[in-house]
Parts: sequence; structure tokens; C-alpha cells
Amino acid sequence: MQFDLAFALSTVPPILGAIGMTLLVAAVSCVGASAIGFGFELVRRSGGWGGLFVRFLIDFIRATPVLVWLYCLYFILPFYGIRLGALATGMIGLSLYYSGYLAEVFKAGIDAIPNGQAEAARALGLGRMDMTIFVIAPQMLRNIAAPMGNYFVSILKATPYLAVLAVPEMLGRAFDIASDTYRYAEPLTVAGLIFLGLALLISYAIKRLETRLLGPTAR
Amino acid sequence: MTILEIWLGILQGFRVTALVTLYGLVFAIPFGLVFGVAQYLTTGPARFVVTSIIEFWRSSAVIILLFVFYYALPLAGLALSAMTVSAMVLGLNIGGYASQAVRAGLQALDRGQKEAGHALGLSRSTILLRIELPQALVAMSPTFINQLIQLVKATSLVSLVTLTDMTFRAKEISQIEYDPVPIYTSLLLAYFIVCYPVALFGRWVERRINPAREAYRAV
Repeated sequence: MQFDLAFALSTVPPILGAIGMTLLVAAVSCVGASAIGFGFELVRRSGGWGGLFVRFLIDFIRATPVLVWLYCLYFILPFYGIRLGALATGMIGLSLYYSGYLAEVFKAGIDAIPNGQAEAARALGLGRMDMTIFVIAPQMLRNIAAPMGNYFVSILKATPYLAVLAVPEMLGRAFDIASDTYRYAEPLTVAGLIFLGLALLISYAIKRLETRLLGPTAR
Repeated sequence: MTILEIWLGILQGFRVTALVTLYGLVFAIPFGLVFGVAQYLTTGPARFVVTSIIEFWRSSAVIILLFVFYYALPLAGLALSAMTVSAMVLGLNIGGYASQAVRAGLQALDRGQKEAGHALGLSRSTILLRIELPQALVAMSPTFINQLIQLVKATSLVSLVTLTDMTFRAKEISQIEYDPVPIYTSLLLAYFIVCYPVALFGRWVERRINPAREAYRAV
């Protein structure tokens, strides 16, 4: 058997057709991971038993593979009667997994803000909530735009893991074509190239956005 | 199935997990070193070629790379074992990340180091091997330890290309007996037991080589 270029080209439209699903999973997971990660970091900072638990949870997530987390959620949740479907389970899995990494990014971003900022906010009579949203968060985002963008690209590159849960994103679609035609090399190569192009494009776009939004002072 | 039987079953896969990690390092270390140094030293078209190769391995989604090489290499007449393909793909992917750490470590060195070497009449290769690389590699060692953890976690992917690692064994056991909760939580714990001591070691190394930064972090 040889690599059939004509066949490979014919698989491009159907695989590209699933790009919407890939981008949807990536976008939802990026938002979810950021929200959970920021929440984790706030709880961790507040100290106490909750903080200790979150600290351990983040360490635990970072020492375990994302694939195993997806299996865990996919097989364990239904066991307790929680049936969410593969797509929702996958997005929850990616959000939860990468929240552990983003919490560390947020930590570094908050640590880099001088103490005087929080003290000034308190002196002005701002509440904890207002201080977090209007004083800490904007400065933190400025500090962490670059590493946050890197993790967003990581999340995009992790979306094909959802193919093992039979979510019809690009890798899943490539496997569908492969099992219909018994030709694996061509659709998988096409999916790989599309993913590579997408990852490079989005990293470039994020870099451009950073300099546009933050100016030359961005780290 | 008792919890002991589950653990013994997962443990049977530990050998493959360890072997893929070890063979993966055989690819990752030379690739990271050679390409990191090459990116540091080259300019113009040569640098473009080096960067392109690094970006291919680093920016592709590793799960797709694994499938592509597993299914497409035989078509090119290269029939490698699943173990070799897995070690190569996972190793070069991590090696791509490592090369960036090597280059960043070299670039972060004070220019005076190189200039002092020149002033002493040392050759360029002696300066690189005896002055620049030792300092850069020590400074970046926490990053390398982190990447080792990423490699161990990525080995869970080889369960998808028929290798009987810990993840594969867990899936096998859960097919024999539907009892997902203890099986998959044990699997998560198994990876945690392997990776967490490495993470703690990485933190210890970071404190040792960079006490000032750690003190700043604690604030």
C-alpha cells in the first residue's frame, strides 16, 4: 500500500468540516479552565482548609495525565447517575485539567503585583470583591498574557484527546473516514497537518493580540 | 475484584510505562541539546530550518503525531515497532520543548561570560561546552524536570497504539469487570505516585539553585 495523495486530498473537506467542533471545544475549555483556575487561586490564597485542599488538588492534577482524567470522568460520572454525554464530559475534563496549570499562572501574575496596590485599594475603602475585579485582575492579566496564551494553545492541542470519547472533532472525523475506508495514514496525516497549521496560526494571533493590547511593556 | 488485584493489574503495566519514558529520553535529550544549541548559534536560513524542525515537533498535537507515525511510517517502508514509534514521537515532542529551554538558558547568560572566554583565547566550542552550557543547563534544570513529568504523563497515550502500559491495563481490567470507580481512581493515584516525587524533587532543585527567586515567591 502506498500513500494515496488524491485520496488524502479528498479527506480534507470532511475533516475541515469538523473544525467548528474543535474550536468550540477549545473555546469553551479555555473559558472554563480560566474561570476554575482563577477560582482555585483565590481559594488557595485565602488559606485555611479550603486553601490546603485546593493546593493539593492542583498538585494532584499536575502529576496525572489528561487522558486518564477524561477516562475517569467518562466512566465514573455515569456510575453515579450523572449522564452528561461525551462532549460535555470532555469539555469539563479539559477545563478542570488545565485549571490546575492556569491557577499556577494566575499565582505568578498576582505575586508580581506590588503589595501597595492591595493596600491602596483597602485604604480607598474598596471591598474584597471590588479590589479583586478592578485592581488585582487587570494588572494580573497584563503580567500573564504570554503564559496564558501558551496554555490556550495547549488546550487547543489537547482537543483531539476527545476523539477517544467519540466526540466528532477533527481527529474523530479522521478516524471515522479511516475505519470506513481501511486507510489510516491519509486522513490522520491530513488531520495532523490541519492541527499543526491551526496551532501555529493561533499562537501567532495570540502573540499579535498581546502586543496590540498590552503594548511594548508586555512581558 | 479486590483493590489489591486492581493494583497488581495496573502494576503489570508499569514496566511498559517506564520503558517508554526511558526510550523517550533517549530521543528527547539529544534532540533538545542539539537543536537548542543550534537555534542559539545559527542565523538566517539555517536558523529558519532549525526552528521549523523544532516547531514541527513542538507545535503538533502529540496524540495525532503518534497516530500519524504509527499508521503512515509503514507506508514509507519503515516498519518500526509500536514501542519505537511511541518513544520517538513522545521523545521528540518533549525534546522540542526542551530545546526551547536550552536556547532560553543560553540566551539568558550574561554576555560577559562569552567575552571573558574569548579574552582568554578559548575557542568557540570550548566556550560553549565548558562555560555556557554548564551554566545554562543548571539554571534550566527545574524546567527539564518538569518536562520529564510531562513525558511520563504523555506515555499514557501509548495505550492507544496497543502498548500494554498502566492505562492499557486499567482499561483491560475494567472490561473484565465493570467497576470503574476503584479502577480509574487507582490509575490516577498510580501516576500521581510516580510523578509527584519527581515534582517535589524539581521544587527542591529550584530552591537550591535559585534561593532568591524562591524568597521573592514566598512574599
